[in-house]
This record gives sequence, structure tokens and C-alpha cells, in this order.
Amino acid sequence: MLSRVAHLLPQELKSVLERTPTSVQDGLEEIRIREDRPLEIGFRGVSQFVELDGSLCRSADKAYKPSGEICRKLLEKMTNYSLYAMEEELRRGYITVSGGHRVGLAGRTVLDSGAVRGIRDIGAFNIRIAREVIGSASLLLPKLIDRQRQSLHSTLVLAPPQQGKTTLIRDIARSASYGNWPIEDAKQWRGRKVGIVDERSEIAACVRGIPTFDVGPRTDVMDACPKAEGMMMLLRSMSPEIIMADEIGRFEDGEAIREASHAGVSVIATAHAYDLQDARGRPVLRRLLDDGVFTCVVELKRRADGIMHRVIQGGAAAPAAAVSSARADDP
Amino acid sequence: MIKLLGMALILFAGTMIGFQQAAKYAERPRQLRGLAHALQRLETEIGYGHTPLPEALLRTADAAAEPLSSLFRETALSLEQGDGLSFNDSWSQTIQRNWRATSMRSNEQSVLLRLGSTLGISDKEDQMKHLKLALLQLQAEEEAARDDQGRYEKMWRSLGILISLLVVILMV
Repeated sequence: MLSRVAHLLPQELKSVLERTPTSVQDGLEEIRIREDRPLEIGFRGVSQFVELDGSLCRSADKAYKPSGEICRKLLEKMTNYSLYAMEEELRRGYITVSGGHRVGLAGRTVLDSGAVRGIRDIGAFNIRIAREVIGSASLLLPKLIDRQRQSLHSTLVLAPPQQGKTTLIRDIARSASYGNWPIEDAKQWRGRKVGIVDERSEIAACVRGIPTFDVGPRTDVMDACPKAEGMMMLLRSMSPEIIMADEIGRFEDGEAIREASHAGVSVIATAHAYDLQDARGRPVLRRLLDDGVFTCVVELKRRADGIMHRVIQGGAAAPAAAVSSARADDP
Repeated sequence: MIKLLGMALILFAGTMIGFQQAAKYAERPRQLRGLAHALQRLETEIGYGHTPLPEALLRTADAAAEPLSSLFRETALSLEQGDGLSFNDSWSQTIQRNWRATSMRSNEQSVLLRLGSTLGISDKEDQMKHLKLALLQLQAEEEAARDDQGRYEKMWRSLGILISLLVVILMV
């Protein structure tokens, strides 16, 4: 996985990371770079510091500390030497680079009459390596199929950050779009038109409007578009049968999802929450769940041996009616 | 006979040296003007087009004439190679490598080097300000260069002939 982002890293940093064990490099998920502070990497669900010779350690004392020079070079490479072209991204606090990797940034913010205008003096980077796991939804998918409409139920996927939500819904989009329905009597069903609102360019990782991940032949992507507006635009213009959105949570998102579900479109969305109980604590999600917009709720939990999922049918009406868990494909 | 040939050669060489010096004085304001145009182009690309810097440099290079265009093109190519240099390093290396090919002086060079330490690493307004500042400095240099041209171009042209004539006369 390191090789996917190696071209973004300055030479010195790259050579330190290349000295880490191969198994760590293959399972790499996050690289956290903080100026003059220990280099940290996340792999297979754990995170550790890296020493100059590539060995891993738990204590921060001996770890390798990237200098300010390296951080500046890193920023230049990530922004393609053009910070001025990234103002919108800096306002949101992250950059999506080609390949769908998201680089989170932290530093001193610049305010313009109270609103954040951007970040300057960027001192911390978090490179999240995007992965495409074809088949990661194959165990979950049979439970989401709506036999009546030969499509998918409206589904809300709940999980804390870093549990594979985006990877999962990307695979759902691909399967529905190709028409790879993983149940016996669905062999004759056709694929569905899928619309993805990809506000953070993470699901499809579009480069100049063309998805770099395989999201299926019948999939339209509205890239870098605010979710609420994007959903309405897709609904009006592209006649989707399934709409996907990542990380809903704002009031307008809720309204747009309600609109779409009344238009007969299945909505598959993700949200940050530990479980259903937790999600009910968020006003927008609670209202959507109470209204029965989502017929299925999926909770994801990551364990050492894979990703566990739990499907709750009927959302608010019958919680925990059907509980199942399965070991999903280990990425 | 040989003496006559030598005299002609000296006369020819002296004249040529004079003309070459004069041409330098004529060339400098022209290149400064071209450089200012190129920077204006870059400003438009950055300020209105939001073009990423390597591409903006390539477009600027296409619009400029040699030897200026190679300054921009070589910087862009070295960025795309991605050999671990920062923009500032690539820019100053390219300028120092190609400076001999231009007729410009160290004043202009330091303006460009200073610009290189700011390009690409700040927001749009800041970039525009730095480019404007560099443009103003180049314009001041251009005026001075035109003064020099008026003063020294003709002088060098006649000086070359006259000095070689003097040498010839002394030889006789």
C-alpha cells in the first residue's frame, strides 16, 4: 500500500518508510506526519511510531522526527506546487490527491470575518491510503436486497471513522451497477443506475471528472459536490435508481435524502456513529430513522480478523429484528 | 601584403567586438520586456485560471521567446520529474544554469530568485502580490536598461571601429 502513495512523499521520508517491514507496508492505512514530532503509521488497525532505521516502536522518544524542510516539500508535492489552486480544499481541511487518497491537514487557520478561510503554517498531515476491496460487500449485500423492486433497500451504514465504510459502499455501488446480485433467483435482474454524490472525492476518486476506482458501468458521479445539492441535481438530471452519499449529518442532507426516498429512489448513506443508539443521539439521523426513510441499518465493527457487520431491518420499527454477523473480506 | 591583410583583420575584429557589445545593450531591454510579459502571463494563469504551477509554467514558456522560454520550460520539466527538489530549488538551479544565455544582469536574476522563494506556497492574493512586485522591479530595471542603451549602444559601435583604427595606425 506504501507504493500507492510513495510518489507523494519526499525522498527522505520515503526511504524511512521503505525500510519498514514489508508486511507493515502492505497493510499500511495511515501515515501521520507532524513537523518535528514522531512519525506515526497506522496499519491493520494499530498505530506505532517509526524509527530512522524503519523499525517500529511504541515510545515516542527514539522515533524519527520529520523536519520542517520535509514538511514543506511534502506540502508542495501534495498540492502540485500550487497551494493557490487548493483554496477550497484548505477551507475544508483536507486535500484529495489522485488515486483517491485523502490528506488531512492541521495547522494555524486564517479567519475571514469569523469564518475559516484556509490553513497556513501547516504542521500536521494525515495521509489516508484509499483501498479498493472488490467483494468487500459480498457478504452484506444479500441482506440488503429488496426482492420486490429488484433493487436495494435504503440503507444507513454506521461506523466510527476508519472502519471501512467508504470501501464498503464503493463495492455496493459496483455490484448494483454491474448487476452482480449475490443471490440465486436474482441472476436475471439487470444492473441498476447508480448516482454517487462524492463530496470528498473518496468513493470514486475522480480525476478530472472520471472515476479512477471501478464503480460500475451504470454509475454517474457528481464529484466534489455538496451532498444535499448533489443529490437533488442527480435526481433531476440523471434519473438514478440508487443514490449513494458518504458521511451525512447536516440538516440539508436529511432533507435531500427524504426527498429522494419519496421519489422512489433507494438511498445508501454512511454516517459516523458507534452504533444505532449512538446515531439516535444525532438529531438529523434520529429524524430520518424515525420517519422510516432507511429500511436497513448496518453497523460496522472492525476486529483483528476482519470487519463484522450487523444488519438491523426496519430501522426504527423493529430494532434488532435480524441480527447477523459475518466476517468480511480482510483487506 | 601580409601587413595589409593583418590590418584588415584587426579592423574587422574590432568592429565586430564593438557591435557585439552594442547588441548586448540593445538586447537587454528587449528581454526584460519579454520577461515582464511572461510574468504577466503567469499571473493570469495563477490568479484567474487557478492552473497548477507546472502547467502554468509550460504555458508561459510556450508564449515566451528564447532564451526566456527555456527558463520556464526546464523548471516545469524538473518539477514533473519529481526528483525530490522543492520548487525553489528547481527554479534557482534552472535560472543559474541558463543565465549565461540571456543578456540580463544580476539585478534581474535576484528579482527572479526572490520570486522563486514565494511562488506556489501561498494563497492566490499573496501570489498575485509577489508577481506584481517582481513586475515593478523588472520595469524599473527595464527603464535603466533603456537609458544605458541610449548612452552606450552608439558609443560601443563607434568605439570598436575607432580603437581598431588606432591600433592599425600605431602599427603602420
